[in-house]
Amino acid sequence: MFDSQQTIQPATQADLSRFLADNATANACRRLRPIGGGTACPRALEADEVAVHLDQLNQVIDYPARDMTITVEAGIRMSELTRILAAEKQRLPIDVPQVEQATLGGVIATNWSGSRRFAHGTMRDYVIGISAIDSSGREFKAGGRVVKNVAGYDICKLLVGSHGALAIITQVTLKLRPIPETSALVRLTFDSLTQIDAAVAGLMNSATRPIVLDVLAASDAKPQLIVGYEGSARETNWQIETLRTESRPFEPRDFVPFVGIAANPLWCELRDFVLATKIVTFKASVSASRTAEFLELATKSQVAAQAHAGNGIVIGQLPGSVTSVERADAQLQPLRELATSSGGQLVILNAPADWKLLGAMSESLAGSLAWSQRLKRQLDPHNLLNPVPTPI
Amino acid sequence: MSILLSNQASGAAPIPTEPPASQQLLDRLRAIVGDGGLLYEPSELLVYECDGFTVSKRIPDVVVFPTSTEQVVAVVKLCNELDIPFLPRGAGTSLAGGTLPIGGGVMISLTKMKRILDVNLRDRYAVVEPGLVNLHLTNHLKESGYHYAPDPSSQGACTIGGNVATNSGGPHTLKYGVTVNHVLGVEVVLPDGSIAQFGGTCEDSPGFDLTGLFVGSEGTFGVCTKVWVRLTRNPESYRTLLGVFETVTAATQTISNIIGAGIVPAALEMMDQGIVGALEQAFHFGFPLDAGAVLLIEVDGLEVAIEDEAAQIEAICKKTGAREIRRAQSAKERALLWKCRKQAFGAIGRLSPSFCTQDGVVPRTKLPAILEFIEDCGRRHGLRIVNVFHAGDGNIHPILLFDERYPEQIQAVLLASEEILQKCLDLGGSVTGEHGIGVEKISFMDKLFAPNDLAVMKEIRDVFNPDNRCSPGKMLPTCGACGTESMPHQHHPSRRAAL
Repeated sequence: MFDSQQTIQPATQADLSRFLADNATANACRRLRPIGGGTACPRALEADEVAVHLDQLNQVIDYPARDMTITVEAGIRMSELTRILAAEKQRLPIDVPQVEQATLGGVIATNWSGSRRFAHGTMRDYVIGISAIDSSGREFKAGGRVVKNVAGYDICKLLVGSHGALAIITQVTLKLRPIPETSALVRLTFDSLTQIDAAVAGLMNSATRPIVLDVLAASDAKPQLIVGYEGSARETNWQIETLRTESRPFEPRDFVPFVGIAANPLWCELRDFVLATKIVTFKASVSASRTAEFLELATKSQVAAQAHAGNGIVIGQLPGSVTSVERADAQLQPLRELATSSGGQLVILNAPADWKLLGAMSESLAGSLAWSQRLKRQLDPHNLLNPVPTPI
Repeated sequence: MSILLSNQASGAAPIPTEPPASQQLLDRLRAIVGDGGLLYEPSELLVYECDGFTVSKRIPDVVVFPTSTEQVVAVVKLCNELDIPFLPRGAGTSLAGGTLPIGGGVMISLTKMKRILDVNLRDRYAVVEPGLVNLHLTNHLKESGYHYAPDPSSQGACTIGGNVATNSGGPHTLKYGVTVNHVLGVEVVLPDGSIAQFGGTCEDSPGFDLTGLFVGSEGTFGVCTKVWVRLTRNPESYRTLLGVFETVTAATQTISNIIGAGIVPAALEMMDQGIVGALEQAFHFGFPLDAGAVLLIEVDGLEVAIEDEAAQIEAICKKTGAREIRRAQSAKERALLWKCRKQAFGAIGRLSPSFCTQDGVVPRTKLPAILEFIEDCGRRHGLRIVNVFHAGDGNIHPILLFDERYPEQIQAVLLASEEILQKCLDLGGSVTGEHGIGVEKISFMDKLFAPNDLAVMKEIRDVFNPDNRCSPGKMLPTCGACGTESMPHQHHPSRRAAL
């Protein structure tokens, strides 16, 4: 299990529990860095940290496909999980980049989501049971294996998005969805973000039911609205044609539908936008209705952005020309202000290790964060696990 | 489990004869909520001695009706100062004793905080006070094309704050999810009297998902004073089908086949012969009285697609032996069908003077097994049991019928209930899908969860509610017991809780 002083790779949940218990009682206990696929862990290990690689905990425990649930160990790769589910025409409708690397546990711990969240929600809507081990080696679980269950506190929700700050997720039961007969994306290019804003507002009451409402914006290109649909072939085609009619008053420059596998390159573009890291990547959350305003401000700062416009989530990339922390700070400042003024926040996802960039959050969120810190102190009293995820 | 019977017959604890609330407490509460904002006369308090779980009764010392978050804060701080327990209460429709005032104290009724503070259709949310009746929000949205998706059968009476506390479900949660999937944020008065906001209008708040943790915490983390809820677009079309089956087994097999085929209807409900008979007497819908069971199946979505889906379901029903499949022919007929389903419990009075409802959950493929067990269990205990439940979720609601005048029947009901819930666990399920643990199912917590699991839950509760002053004795088991020997039903944890 121990391949070096700085890395462990447990083969079983019991191994991991034993290691954590031993570590907690050692004279010089080490801090712990849970790692799934390592796709969201840019920070280098520090001298007193142990990397806990979870990718060997990758077994399928139970897959009663006709119940549309699956119980798996958390280290399973997303590509493997997707393959297993697809064999039963089922899926977990969360868009994840780097599926060959990313693990389910990592996706849950970071609460990653993508374009389809507009219709399908996020990991919190799919995790119905969870097992985890805290920093003392104590194994615990919550939820169960049935799709409806209100017994006990919902620790599943607590651990989704907890970034490994409270415990290491080892096993998960998921609620699943059927794979639709077909899916499609439509790309509409507009002259301005103002037009896109009007189109998105209109689409919120469209006769169609989009599952994706993304905007791609950059200072050197016309903004694009990407609308996604899924369902039966007839349903999807009808929605595309209805969108064609509904979008005309907003005067798009073009209207390009991609149906079935023809849409794959565009799906990949949406899924992998976050990977096109230039120098600094951030994620902002604003009111959905202020997304275009945020994008307008962002593109003025040469930020390239992808917005899940129905949810008010924006992934932004500062331009490669930003070569100093001061410059980055200055470009982020108006974006921080807009995010907090709408009750949201801005989080830095990726930046050079020696750049101390701050995110931002509203006052009410700061109050809530204090309660997260209290929970952290209760469940990880020696502060051995990751810090509470916070923008600042 | 919900048992409707009298206090005396059940052997429950008599109404306590402790001294009424102290004059000091009353005076200071009056200063906070005004003369019309509190009840303290024993006769007035009787309404508040229990919720829909009527096995155990206990009047609070006083009920207050705050009209603002600030008043809730002042009440909670006063309870801290005077070392008095308190608990929140919505409409009292909870079925697991979540609002039983263990140890007396101050009951904070949120029913006067019932305003809709904001509706934002562009951002698809509403902000409401906790005392707002669930259905009133959807009624308010009637012409907007949106609705609030969680629809418990009691939605005409239950409050959104109460739904938050118990993470309520309902028939349409099969497709749309339960309360927690539709709550974006909560404002909470914590047990120390501080106010916190978890979540809100913007998604992906930093820190932990405390909104998700708070929903379903059954009032043990504090008093919810404001809720940000997600609004859902109305479907363009519905198809509401009634599948008629000769046997319960055929109906449950159909449910399993529909889900197994990857179809997720908006709702998939089962009613057996016993309950159909009572509904027919009450509503005269034209249900077939000789059928073993009927399935109420609804699909919704775009008109262009929905017919295909309905036809697929009809084909599955026929294949598993449906003798007849009817469709609601109009919006009026659809509304009547749902009225029958949602008011099914109201019709049970036609079958029996008293009844007890369970809330177990099994994996959907195990429905035939649990239904067979329930039938056998009823036979063994000499009880009639009828079924109406959220079949698509595997969430059963067997209704055990009895006459409270016969103590041996009460005993049989309690024993049968325990056996049914234990069977749900044996089949890989849970003891509650939507009613909550409350005080009723506390004894099952250590069967569902290991000591470590419960210890972690207690540590989490201690962060918010370290003195256990807020909603004491709920959700998590404690070691206390009355210790007296007698009938099995007197060992019921809720009875101990009430004592």
